Amino acid sequence: MTSKDPNKGHVAILGWSLRCIDALEKFDRRYLIVAPKWAEDYAQQHDIPFLSWDFERLNDRSFELASTLKEMGVDVAIPLFEETVEWAGAVNAVLMDNPRLLGQSMLFRDKSLMKRRAQLGGIRVGIFEEAMDQSDVIRFLKRVNQTLLKLDGDPNDPIHFKAFDKAGCLGHRVIRSPDDVMAIADEEFPALLESHLDGWEFAVEAWIKDRKIQFLNISEYVTLGYSVFVPATPELEKYRAKITEQIEKLIEVFDIDFGFIHPEYFVTNDGTMYFGEVAYRPPGFNAFELMERAYGFNAYQGLVLAFDPKATQEELDAFFPTPVTGAKGHAGCFGVYPRRRVVSELQLPEETENDPYFEFHELAPPMETKVTKRTAFGTHWGLVYFFGEDPHRLRDLLKAQEELDFYV
Amino acid sequence: MHLPHPRLQFQKSVATTWLTLLGYLTTMTMTSDPDPLPALTRSFDRMLGQLADASAAGKLSYQGRVLDAAKRVMKQPGGLAELEARAARLDEAGIFAGTDWAMPAGLVPGMVGNTLKSSDSRTVVLECLSLLRFLAVQKGEHPTSGLLHETADHFLTQVLALNLDRIIGAGTEAARVQASELTPAVDALLRRLLEAVGTDGILTQLVDEVWRILRQRPLQVDHVKTMILQIAIAMGREGSGLGVRDARTGADRLISALFGPSELCREDPGLDAYRARLEASDSGALQAEATGMARAMHDTGLVSDYHAAFLRFILDGGQSHLLPDALGLSSTGLDALRCYQPLVHRLIEVAVHPGTAQAVLGLSLMLERGIMYSPPIAPSLWRLLGASMSPDCEAALTTAFGEGVSPHQRLVAGMICLLGLPLGVGQGNNPTCQSARALSIWALNDPDYLFWLLAQVIANDHIIMYFEGDALDSALLPAGLAQNTPLDADPVSVLLVPHLDRIYAEMGRRVAGRLEDPHRWINPELHGWWVGREFHIAVDIATGKLHDYDRFLRDFHLAYHPLHNGNEPVVHPQPAGIAVTDSNGVFVGWHAITIVRVALDQSGEMRVYFFNPNNDSGQDWGLGIVVSTHGNGERLGEGSLPFAQFASRLYIFHDDGLRTPLAVPLEDAKIDAIRDMAIQSWARDRVGV
Repeated sequence: MTSKDPNKGHVAILGWSLRCIDALEKFDRRYLIVAPKWAEDYAQQHDIPFLSWDFERLNDRSFELASTLKEMGVDVAIPLFEETVEWAGAVNAVLMDNPRLLGQSMLFRDKSLMKRRAQLGGIRVGIFEEAMDQSDVIRFLKRVNQTLLKLDGDPNDPIHFKAFDKAGCLGHRVIRSPDDVMAIADEEFPALLESHLDGWEFAVEAWIKDRKIQFLNISEYVTLGYSVFVPATPELEKYRAKITEQIEKLIEVFDIDFGFIHPEYFVTNDGTMYFGEVAYRPPGFNAFELMERAYGFNAYQGLVLAFDPKATQEELDAFFPTPVTGAKGHAGCFGVYPRRRVVSELQLPEETENDPYFEFHELAPPMETKVTKRTAFGTHWGLVYFFGEDPHRLRDLLKAQEELDFYV
Repeated sequence: MHLPHPRLQFQKSVATTWLTLLGYLTTMTMTSDPDPLPALTRSFDRMLGQLADASAAGKLSYQGRVLDAAKRVMKQPGGLAELEARAARLDEAGIFAGTDWAMPAGLVPGMVGNTLKSSDSRTVVLECLSLLRFLAVQKGEHPTSGLLHETADHFLTQVLALNLDRIIGAGTEAARVQASELTPAVDALLRRLLEAVGTDGILTQLVDEVWRILRQRPLQVDHVKTMILQIAIAMGREGSGLGVRDARTGADRLISALFGPSELCREDPGLDAYRARLEASDSGALQAEATGMARAMHDTGLVSDYHAAFLRFILDGGQSHLLPDALGLSSTGLDALRCYQPLVHRLIEVAVHPGTAQAVLGLSLMLERGIMYSPPIAPSLWRLLGASMSPDCEAALTTAFGEGVSPHQRLVAGMICLLGLPLGVGQGNNPTCQSARALSIWALNDPDYLFWLLAQVIANDHIIMYFEGDALDSALLPAGLAQNTPLDADPVSVLLVPHLDRIYAEMGRRVAGRLEDPHRWINPELHGWWVGREFHIAVDIATGKLHDYDRFLRDFHLAYHPLHNGNEPVVHPQPAGIAVTDSNGVFVGWHAITIVRVALDQSGEMRVYFFNPNNDSGQDWGLGIVVSTHGNGERLGEGSLPFAQFASRLYIFHDDGLRTPLAVPLEDAKIDAIRDMAIQSWARDRVGV
């Protein structure tokens, strides 16, 4: 364990992640892991500073958590998962004596509020609406397609249905017809509806300190919900200046002093940027691991620097590499969903395993043989990691994985 | 797969030639692609670095990827050595942290074998890395392991002793069914451990095991030769332990049979030196050579390359009167030799070379069997000697055996061996027990038909068989059970099995809709008229449950038990099906065997003597049923079990349908006992409704 510097910040991590703990063990900040009870034994075995906390319970105990952390001398709370973003906002509002932080975190947690706020701030968003039940979805589908001057019988342009408060692709459905609407369960409402934007979707990871972007990464999606890689191809990187402008706008509109954001955008053929959504936590699909592979810096340690009020600009400058040119190659990963209805074992396709770009996988052996039908973008069964010099080869390779069976 | 033999280098001793071959086996790469190992190793090292750098709490999240990377490295030729070199670092990096392997001192050698067969590849790899850790300690390259050199050495010796079956490489049905992508790598690891630890501590077991295998007189003896070489190396080392003295006699006989079977080649002088000595020898010395060679051959079943050289020498030098002694013939064999002298000489000329020396044993035993007196056999041999082979057949044999000996010479040698040792044929590591069994039955019972099949294949690359009146042409049929040409088999199998396998599969397709076991129709049509047309099966095909099982067992007694069938011997070898179980009595699969004889053994127990096309008949089928291959009246290549034990694993047999003249009543208790044995093992979940 790296020795801790008492003059630097003391951070509380909200959520359990071995990778994150590993990063902190090797970093000079004092830390505390706030996570559910089930992690307590492991934490004790490995002498991890630990506070057991139940995040499922309502926020009325957030003040209790904040006071506990304050007594322990914690300077800032860092959320790891979507579910802990509000908790971090509430806690930091107390720790930093800044009530605005709670309101800000609410914006990040509600996709509909977030879009309105962006729109009010002059950021381009697609058409969107809240839906309370199935009829709202059908009406929105019709209206969008009327707007597009479609006639009855023409194939509909799809719309997107997203849970308000879930991370990433969880609960995300693509709706093309009223039949698709019927498949949505009542408990999935309320939800956010969005028009489909024909364009190139990508994600950005931005570390922010003192309202300034410290490091900006562009993650290129090959297929949404399946695969992503960093740094992006030169074709997408050429928008970096425009994207930086957009992120600076986002910082203004959402009033972000510090921390880490993970927004998603579309860029259309004419170069217009549309804002999709933004999260105030590390991205899914293990993009932190990809960045570490490509650039060599530990993204979790970067996260701590971006939150720590005691971190200095010199420290940050020294920590982050130069975007794109500082990368040793391109790292990508592919999320595996079983393609067959009945599977019995995990079997890495030979062409994947033998590809020189293939690195390793974190696929779990099947727990059940019957695969539940996939209705929404959901939880993949694990990730397969690749790394190589050529971003185009990597992109095509990730695409090719979609046609392979990893579970047979 | 079987690897090509390099051309024998005659200036070297025979043992060094084998040693060269061994090195060749372990270093050869299989493809012409650029070697993927360096890239895989780099990737592995990076992940190993991540694991090493991780904090104690974070190790867990990096172990899986390191194990996967290790698996990929391990599967490559030369990969094992890369892992071996990193064993200590892997341990220090924390690959075992938080697992059952974290405290090596507490590990139990007896559990390693099962773990190595686990279906979870990460577990298998972890066990392999753990063994490499012990090896690093044993070599003195891992001071921080917390293990003593002696402890590691002892641990590895025990692991090797308990896994000799994998080292000797004679695959059992259970091993073949359970084989995985890692099986070759694990086998290679065990061989590497043996090389490093030495055979000293396990020499007794090893020598016994080699003898046990050899007593079955397998056609394929390369893996046995490899083991004997290891033993020789171990015995040549100084400071051999106690085990060596105990095993010395048996081991000496094995080693000398291969590398110095007679007076003039005792110290393995190399073939050129040996020939020079023969030139300079008087008739008494040559006579002694002849008998010495024959004694070693019949004692072990192994033929030295010196023996082949000796035979060629005496024929070239006009000393053919020494041939009977050099072949170790009895009066039967001698008579056959005299009747067919030009043919036998021609066979030796074509088939017996250093590199195909086993043909000497095949020739000797073929003469002893007296089959040459059957009118079609000698002409068939002449036809084979004069045959020209199709390019495909030549290519198949060259791929399987290399170029030291021409494909035609190789084939003649293989055919002689098969005819001399019909029960020595093995299926190799292929799912083709049916075809291997058929070859053995024909070699035993219908050799001229076997010649006819072979003649069709080497001339036209196909065989035609008839099934219920329709001609089946193997050249026009899709692949059967074996996806590739089996290369790890004897020359006749290499050529015939692909065709037989396709015909067998086609016969299966043609009867697939009949709702009864296909072997009812296939067995008589595939093998010959002499397979009994009455068919008995123990299970109901639709449900897989036992069906009228008591009746089945009674019928088996009436058909085969001499005390219940009017003392009628088994006239022709009969195909039968058994439910193979592993050493825990757990069902593994259905398997084809041949019932060769039923007879009393020397202690008065009625036994079934049968042929198992698996490479080693001596298998433990669990719950006390261990197939014997020696010491209970078995002839070469036979396995045997007491009648009741055999019946308890039987599920299909054929009967000629002749009524038993006088039925001796069969006690219910006998049937009950057999049924219980079945239900405790393979039929556990098959008890009828």
